[in-house]
Amino acid sequence: MAALYRSGSLLLLVLSLTALPAAAAKPEFKIEIRNHLFEPSELVVPANTKIKLIVYNRDSTAEEFESYELNREKVVMGNRKAVIFIGPLKPGTYPFFGEFHPNTAQGIIIAE
Amino acid sequence: MLLTSVIIVLREVLEAALIISVLLALSRIAGIRLNWVRWAIGLGVLGSVIYASNTAIVSDWFDGVGQEVINALLQISVYVCLVIFAVYFAATHKADDANKQRLQALMTVVVSLAIVREGSEIFLYLSGFVGDMTQFTPILTGGLVGAGIGISAGALVYYLLLNLKRDIIPYLSTVLLASVAAGMAGQAALLLIQADWLPSQQALWDSSQWLPEDSVSGQLLYALIGYEASPTPVQAAAYFGGFLLLLGLVALSRYRRKSHADG
Repeated sequence: MAALYRSGSLLLLVLSLTALPAAAAKPEFKIEIRNHLFEPSELVVPANTKIKLIVYNRDSTAEEFESYELNREKVVMGNRKAVIFIGPLKPGTYPFFGEFHPNTAQGIIIAE
Repeated sequence: MLLTSVIIVLREVLEAALIISVLLALSRIAGIRLNWVRWAIGLGVLGSVIYASNTAIVSDWFDGVGQEVINALLQISVYVCLVIFAVYFAATHKADDANKQRLQALMTVVVSLAIVREGSEIFLYLSGFVGDMTQFTPILTGGLVGAGIGISAGALVYYLLLNLKRDIIPYLSTVLLASVAAGMAGQAALLLIQADWLPSQQALWDSSQWLPEDSVSGQLLYALIGYEASPTPVQAAAYFGGFLLLLGLVALSRYRRKSHADG
């Protein structure tokens, strides 16, 4: 177990060192979840730029923001927000959906 | 809604079921009692309820990327424990009781941590429908179907492994463990990219046209070898580095055991 703790704290150290250069400001975009729908369901973002997407969940139940095209997956708790970093994306369209309510919660990100 | 819950629960259960079945098969051939798995599942379920009920708090850590960081830490811990387990398993020839206990402890940690990460999502999903019986019943039914399929797949792997020739099982199991472990390392890298703790890059390749991640085979391969259709260089490096590191360390420990036995 001691070896485990040591390797764990070493990993933490390595991780915290890599975190240092990532403080630059990125364009922010906001999406809301309301009644298991995304608003807006279509979001235009700049291509080849890393963006900060903030998802506000206005429902009382949790949702999972998910996109295979964007390689992103994150639980957004009810009445909370979640921060998701995306890109840089090549120009194109990237569908996303709410995994917990995929029949209604659908949206698309357009990078241009 | 029924189908959604089948898929969500199946996705989460499949990965844990595969790890459990490989570790159970290895326990059988090493003469280790299988009772550790009850502890592991119990601890994992308890941990996932605790984690699920604290997800809102965890989410706010590290400027809103707490979920990614904690999940990555869980994945890295599973990876490290799998490496220690595989190396230790390869190094112990005739396992005595003390060795068996250590191996059991390692497997318990691996399985319970793997369940915490996957299980918490199931609880969060189900919790959204509690109190609405018209929806909750079909969702729970779907969830049980999904869990049943996942557990059956695990049982299939377990019996397939045990029906192989005895001397092949450790080699194949090690490769399977290495694939699962590499998937954990790749996932951890992806989560830290999503948290902006690791650099995000253009994808190395995109095989989503040939084998979409959301297809049945894509999902199976995701659970088995951590398949990603469009990984970035950092992610691929974590995956392949993690794979080779585990196999290399196991080979080294086998070699040292052999030369020790010969000399």
